[in-house]
Amino acid sequence: MIRAPRWYPYLLLVPAALVMVVVVFFPLLYNVWLSFRNMSLAHFLDHRFIGLEQYRRVFADPALYAMLARSLVWTTVNLFFHALFGVALALLLNGAVKGKAIFRALLILPWAMPQYISALTWRGMFNTEYGAINLMIKQWLHLPGIPWQTDPFWAFVAPIIVNIWLGFPFIMVVTLGGLSAIPVHLYEAADLDGATWWQKFRNVTWPQLTPVLAPALILGTVWTFNNLNVIWLVSRGGQPGDRTHILVTYLYKVAFSYSRYSFSAAFSVIVLLLLLVFLLFAMKRLAPAEAR
Amino acid sequence: MKRRAPAPAGRFLPGIAVFVLSCLAFTGCAPKKGGDATAPIVVWVQMDPDEKARFEKNLEAYRVAHPGDSISVLTFDTENLRQQFQTQAAAGAGPDLLFGPSDQVGPLSLVKLLRPLETTLPAGAFDRFLPASLDTLDGHIWQVPDQLGNHLLLLYNKKLVPIPPATHDEFIAMGRRLTKNAGASDATYGFVMNTDESYWLAPYLGGFGGWVFDETGAPSLDTPAMVQALAFLKYLRDDAGIMPRGADYEISETLFKEGRAAMIVNGPWAIGGYRSAGIDLGAAPLPMLPNGRRPQPMVASKGYSISVNVSDAKLPRVVALVTYLTSSEAQLRDVARLGFFPSDAAAFADSTFRNDPVLVGSRAAFELGRRMPVVPEMRVVWDAMRTDLQNVMNGTKTPEEAAADMQAAAVSQIATLKE
Repeated sequence: MIRAPRWYPYLLLVPAALVMVVVVFFPLLYNVWLSFRNMSLAHFLDHRFIGLEQYRRVFADPALYAMLARSLVWTTVNLFFHALFGVALALLLNGAVKGKAIFRALLILPWAMPQYISALTWRGMFNTEYGAINLMIKQWLHLPGIPWQTDPFWAFVAPIIVNIWLGFPFIMVVTLGGLSAIPVHLYEAADLDGATWWQKFRNVTWPQLTPVLAPALILGTVWTFNNLNVIWLVSRGGQPGDRTHILVTYLYKVAFSYSRYSFSAAFSVIVLLLLLVFLLFAMKRLAPAEAR
Repeated sequence: MKRRAPAPAGRFLPGIAVFVLSCLAFTGCAPKKGGDATAPIVVWVQMDPDEKARFEKNLEAYRVAHPGDSISVLTFDTENLRQQFQTQAAAGAGPDLLFGPSDQVGPLSLVKLLRPLETTLPAGAFDRFLPASLDTLDGHIWQVPDQLGNHLLLLYNKKLVPIPPATHDEFIAMGRRLTKNAGASDATYGFVMNTDESYWLAPYLGGFGGWVFDETGAPSLDTPAMVQALAFLKYLRDDAGIMPRGADYEISETLFKEGRAAMIVNGPWAIGGYRSAGIDLGAAPLPMLPNGRRPQPMVASKGYSISVNVSDAKLPRVVALVTYLTSSEAQLRDVARLGFFPSDAAAFADSTFRNDPVLVGSRAAFELGRRMPVVPEMRVVWDAMRTDLQNVMNGTKTPEEAAADMQAAAVSQIATLKE
């Protein structure tokens, strides 16, 4: 048998590593470097080191706290409904349902569509006067239309609805995978003990699902927290009156509308640190569950 | 016969090949300097469909006269054009030529990514342009205009409005008469306009005697004129009974094109589309305000800017292309159908602009206008105005609060531009 030289595995890793360096590590380090400088419209090519000044400005910006609060609401509400609908639909689909394959395909559709196309379609449907949703509300429920695009509250509810619709299939697919891996004998044993539907769910299904579901929810949290497309497109860049921004959309606007590159770099480092703390905490909590 | 074991090197060839290929892949990422005098001229444009069609015809004519000169074109929307150019040009890449609204030169000249044109183009190159079409910023010209206008005006469907209203009362009365079943799916409206965007607020600010900047160049948004303008737009949309509530730009367009809205506020860029939609079109200055004055639209041009990254070797070809695209011949092509004015004085004197009734109406609106500032602060002011215009329209702020808040927002954002 011919043994590969010692360096050979490393050589095989090089292409992937190179891609990681160029598209992940370099931009990340560049971003951190930028956050200590004063690159903006006024100092675009002649920016210089100014230490922690940008970080001071970020913390002094009242927008940070409002956006952070909105980001947390956005993430929590989305994740809650992703999990609720995802798990509920997976449980339904896992049972004896007629036309299971068709339902499964239909329910995965929102996930399979390009996000921006869904978002733009939904934006049209949310139009106050001519959107499908208000037309249905007016015609069938005989209620006044909801000001989806002009009222700050509803303008924030609209992208949440869109993102719930976009996000539940992921949890559903993961849950379906998890459900199919639960040994049948556990349910048989539970049946012998005379367990009810709820007892089986509570004591068999849920504990067996958590190791699969937990990483999916952690991923979902990070994706949702950093989801720029949906809010940006559905609310047309934070409209009305910049009242629908979350951290990342505000960041995007500050960086690319106002060209405050270093300020937004510092801002994004803070967002990154927030997520890092969350991830470390979540993974520490989940590690024993996975090892079980 | 014994089969020969493959040579060790051969077994590892695929891996080595992948390695080499992946290294090669990155060599393609280096920015092209465009130093080659025969490299294609890259043009980035922000154009409406009709404008783009005219541009393609002009390009075709240029190619016939300059066989072998290759030109590649990419289309962007206004925001992306500026953002992408700023990012790429700073890295030494990006297009040679940039076509868009005049106010984009504010930020782009500040970051030193454009060539000052009065020294780049031959001496006297700007003499043939109407003075109203040229902007100078920091003493330099940054854009060669190929059109003049961008002013908001009243466009009306002659089938429904044979003669445009002469006074404010006439306008409201006419609007009410033409509005039927408001809110229903078969509704028709007397009047539609986009009430989400600050550009649509600007003429009313002017009409009530205000302006976006004071004499020192500081924002002047917290004024009685702004309060009146905001209150007037809110009144028009909610209380006058002449327009739909949820109409943004697209929906206003659709209503007008379908003949379900009699009058619309839009710019010359929309004229071609309305004509194509079969609307019997009329044009006039914006309807009179209750104070007896006409709204004062902002006037601007669009044109070409040259990137700092264009090498001296390539420059003559780029200049030749810009010169043709802004020539009298190119500016007059399809101009009556497009509905905007040429920036070239000779072309402007063409009889089309005295005979075509839509262009005559448009010109009357244009002459009431005031040149839009191109300073970088302008986009911050637009943004501050948009935010609080929307807050007034959705009822979260009174016009007085909104005027004070937009002033504060503009002042603080302008400070961040300079930090």
